[in-house]
Amino acid sequence: MSIELTTADGHVTITNEVIATIAGGAAIECYGIVGMASKKQLRDGIAEILRKENFSRGVIVRQEGEAVHIDMYIIVSYGTKISEVAHNVQSQVKYNLEKTLGLKINSINIYIQGVRVIQD
Amino acid sequence: MTHKNIDAALFANMVITGATHLSNNADKIDALNVFPVPDGDTGTNMNLSITSGATEVKKANKDSVSEVANAFAKGLLMGARGNSGVILSQIFRGFAKGLEGKEELDIDSFVTALDSGVNTAYKAVMKPVEGTILTVAKDTAHDAKEIAKQEKDIEIFLEKVVQAAKKSLKRTPDLLPVLKEVGVVDSGGQGLVVIYEGFLAGLKGEEVPQSQDETMDLDDLVNAEHHKLAQDYMSTDDIEFGYCTEFMVRFEEDKLKEQPYDEAKFREELSEHGDSLLVVSDDEIVKVHIHAEYPGDVFNLGQRFGSFISLKVENMREQHSKIVEPQQEKPKVKQPFGVVTVAMGTGLADLLKSLGATVVIQGGQTMNPSTQDIANAITEANAENVIVLPNNKNIVMAAEQAAELAEVNVAVVPTKTIPQGMAAMLSYNPENSLTDNKEAMAEASKHVKTGQITYAVRDTQIDGMTIENGHYMGLADGKIKVTNADQLTVIKSLLTDLIDPDEDEIVTVIRGQESSEEEAQAIIAFIEAEFEDVEIEVHQGDQPIYSYIFSVE
Repeated sequence: MSIELTTADGHVTITNEVIATIAGGAAIECYGIVGMASKKQLRDGIAEILRKENFSRGVIVRQEGEAVHIDMYIIVSYGTKISEVAHNVQSQVKYNLEKTLGLKINSINIYIQGVRVIQD
Repeated sequence: MTHKNIDAALFANMVITGATHLSNNADKIDALNVFPVPDGDTGTNMNLSITSGATEVKKANKDSVSEVANAFAKGLLMGARGNSGVILSQIFRGFAKGLEGKEELDIDSFVTALDSGVNTAYKAVMKPVEGTILTVAKDTAHDAKEIAKQEKDIEIFLEKVVQAAKKSLKRTPDLLPVLKEVGVVDSGGQGLVVIYEGFLAGLKGEEVPQSQDETMDLDDLVNAEHHKLAQDYMSTDDIEFGYCTEFMVRFEEDKLKEQPYDEAKFREELSEHGDSLLVVSDDEIVKVHIHAEYPGDVFNLGQRFGSFISLKVENMREQHSKIVEPQQEKPKVKQPFGVVTVAMGTGLADLLKSLGATVVIQGGQTMNPSTQDIANAITEANAENVIVLPNNKNIVMAAEQAAELAEVNVAVVPTKTIPQGMAAMLSYNPENSLTDNKEAMAEASKHVKTGQITYAVRDTQIDGMTIENGHYMGLADGKIKVTNADQLTVIKSLLTDLIDPDEDEIVTVIRGQESSEEEAQAIIAFIEAEFEDVEIEVHQGDQPIYSYIFSVE
């Protein structure tokens, strides 16, 4: 799966892998996120934090005709306002993708896969 | 009046003054906002967050500073808006934790609380971006420790802490490139400085800080405004208001009698003439920045209040259409790191390159590259440190020999299959040392299972199995597991053997030269039906001999 853009000089193809990597990279810089999780339901109830190379497991890029939708699976920090963290991720990821790829994203859906309590 | 300690009522007043001061400056902070998303809402978000915090403080029991701090933290958490608001809520959650059980606030507990605030704030983020509100909080807490060693008066202590926060804010552009590019300080950091200024004013019993804040000057605001605009304009023709117009007017008594100055009204008038409008004024001077199509009209409006100190007009259409000189190409310098690997088929070569391989030698089963071939590839990689992935057990030896011959540092990660090579590439990090990479890559290659489908070229007996010429064979990590005249039967049996539905998450199918679309679809359908939780990736490898390679992890 990939996204095709047509410019005056020819075609540009962006693979979903690229979109997932950029989206994941933007997400982990968001405040309140402590990790990206795999989309798969968790083996023993503990969300596994993905390393950078596996972001694509927690970032699903879907295309429906012209529209691009992204599903992201994240783990957030306990004690933050989670609704707001999720909203920040949406706007930050959207902005980064539009800035770097010139790609309009129709929706970014956030799935909170876990809340991590950090011991003081 | 000097203070040794701050009681609950006074601390509540500090918090409330901090919130008021932020509200008064929210629009300026909005104007500075270029990071992470230049949507100009940082000030608004921080204002909504801290107002909610101050509201809780007003309602709270004021028996101890601990109660006040907890109420503030609770209000911030409930009302947190935007990135900056969430960070603010964490800073003061930690601050309150640091004051747990304290009746009064003295210098030592203030230092502890600031420090605890930073710790909590940093814990809630994976990759803290420096040059933001986080940095300002961190630097301030750090400097506060030093200041506490010298100061015994809490008012002077806090004055110096605010100075430290301002210094840190000034450094934010050195840490965050986008700020430097635009020429502004960080908006969230500016917000925090404003809050601390408000705390200090509250401690002194002032309504709002008396000292004019030099950190937030018009230049910063103008730079941010231009940056946001630059993003909107794709072509020179799009520019609606062509002149960037700035002026400074010194008020004159007799003119003001004719034409009293009212900032809000003046801003309203100016907004008719253009956009990107900024108006900053005090008792003596008004500064204006606007993008207008008719600068003369704007100047006339300003001149009604006094005389010009300075004027500036730039034609933005001219600036926008200037073409940037193309960059000179640099000679090829030796890279710090390179990866040499071996694969057959153009698809596999591309796949490995996309994962970061520098040179892919065409070879593999029945066509093993020689030691010389590998040595040449190591030279071609043009790097100080080279990692070699043989991807075949028969090539490991040759790779080891080539490594000894090489003049650069070479590490061989003894991968035996393509999937192992791919798994190793995924944990390759050019920023780590050669030794660390070798270890991490070898470790990663162990976590993947390899399935291969090929066919027999003669009758034979291997591993206690009878294999007939022309029959298909399925290999799991190099061992023959199943053989049958029908390829799909072999594949299904092999995959059932390989995939552990409780452990494995992802199956990668690499299609060989002989793979057909129909077959591939049948395989995908089979995996989806049998292992519904497993994700499937398909790549065209174009490898000969092996019609399919499966990677399971």
